[in-house]
Amino acid sequence: MNQFKYASPENKEEALKILKEERVNACIVAGGTNVLPDIKVKKLSPKILVDITAIEELRGIDKKKDKIYIGPLTTIAELINSELILKEGKILIQAAQEFADPLVRNNATIGGNLVTASPAADTAVPLLTLDALIKIESVRQKREVWLKDFFLGPGKTVLQDDEMIVGIEFEQSDINKNGYFIKLGQRKAMAISIASVAVNLEVRQNKIIRIRIAAGSVAPTPIRLTATEEFLKDKEINDKLVEEAMDRVSEEVNPISDIRASAEYRRYISGILFKRAFKKLTN
Amino acid sequence: MNKIEIEFTINGKKRNLSVKPNDLLINIIRNDLFLTGSKYGCGIGECGACTVLLDGEPVLSCLTLAATVDGKEITTIEGLAKGNELHPMQIAFLKNTAVQCGFCTPSMILTATALLKENPNPTEDEIRDYMRGNICRCTGYIQIVKAIESCAEGGKSEPV
Repeated sequence: MNQFKYASPENKEEALKILKEERVNACIVAGGTNVLPDIKVKKLSPKILVDITAIEELRGIDKKKDKIYIGPLTTIAELINSELILKEGKILIQAAQEFADPLVRNNATIGGNLVTASPAADTAVPLLTLDALIKIESVRQKREVWLKDFFLGPGKTVLQDDEMIVGIEFEQSDINKNGYFIKLGQRKAMAISIASVAVNLEVRQNKIIRIRIAAGSVAPTPIRLTATEEFLKDKEINDKLVEEAMDRVSEEVNPISDIRASAEYRRYISGILFKRAFKKLTN
Repeated sequence: MNKIEIEFTINGKKRNLSVKPNDLLINIIRNDLFLTGSKYGCGIGECGACTVLLDGEPVLSCLTLAATVDGKEITTIEGLAKGNELHPMQIAFLKNTAVQCGFCTPSMILTATALLKENPNPTEDEIRDYMRGNICRCTGYIQIVKAIESCAEGGKSEPV
C-alpha cells in the first residue's frame, strides 16, 4: 500500500484546520471500508489520511426540536439499532439492513456512504425521500445543502477540498414516518444494487397529499423523481394512476448498461419497484 | 515515515507496538504478533476471512488501520479457547464437520460467537443473514449453519 501520513484530530476545528492546510493532499477516513480499498488499487493516493473517528461530536443520533439529527460518523449498524430512526424515518433502517454485510456495517458510516457518492449508495436513496439536509463546514464557512443538490456525478459531490460533512438532518413529519425502500441485487450479501427505489408518502382520504420518490443505480447519482412526484400530487389513488406512475418512473430514470444489468431492464424494473413500494404503503 | 505508538489488548494481553500509518491491522496481527489464525483473503472487504472482534464486534481487519485500534480490545480465534479447552463454538464446528479447508473457519467462528451474543436464539434465516459477510468456498454453508444452531441456546440441531 502507498505511504501516507496519519492524523487523528480530536475535535472538528482541528480536523478542518488540517483540511485547510493540506487541501487535495488530505483524505478523510472514518470506517475505511471504501477509502482503504481505493488506496490499495491506487484510485486514491492521499499524502495524509485524516482519521476523524475520535471526534465524538460527529457521532450519534438525536432529536432537536422537530429535526432528527444524524452525526456523519454514525455507523450503519448504529442506524439499524436506533429507536429514534425506527420511529421517525424507518425507511433508512430498511436500507441499512440491506447494506453490504454485518461486518462492513460495523465500520461503514453514513457520512462516508454519502461522500463516496456512488450512484448505488444505499443510504442516499432513502435520505432523498426523507428530504435530508446536509450540514457542511470548513474553516471559511458553514453551509447547508439539500441532499438532492449534493451529488454532482459518480464519486463527485459539492464538497470542496477543505470542507466536510458535520451533520445530516431530516424533519420529524408524517410523510417521513411512512416510507418503503426496495433494493434489487443479484444476491443478498455484498451485492451492489441493480436498482433501488424509495417512496415516502402522506395520504388523506385516499388522496396523495405529499409524495417523494427516489432511485439508486439508475442515473449518474442517486436521484429524486420530481416529475413523477408532481404528477401524483393531489391525485386520488387507484390502479390506473399507479400504472401510469410506473410508466413515468421508467421514463424519468436515466440508467446505463453495465455488468449488472442493461439500461432497458433498469428502466423497466424501476417502474416495478416503484409499484411494489407504493402498494406496500397504500394497502 | 513517522511511527505511531499504540497500546491495545489482544486476547486478554496488553500490547504496545509502534506502527506505520499505513499498517493494516491484519498484518500487525499476523506478522508482528504471530497470530496467524486470522487470514488475509481478498484484502478489500468482500470475503470476511480477516474478521476479528474489535471491542466485541466483528470487523474486517484488512480494512482497519492498526493506528486506529489504540486503546481497544481485540479478540482473534487464538483467544477463544481456554488453555486446552475449546470454546463451545469451536467444538460445534468440529462435531458438525463445518470445516473443510479451514481458511474461513476462524472468521466464521468469531462472527458466529458475536451473533449468539447479540441474539442467543437465532432462526436459520437470522444466522444466514448475520453470516453473509463471511464466505466459504468448500462447505456449502449447511454444516456451518447447523453448527451455529447446535451452539445456540435452544440447541435446535443435533451434531450430525
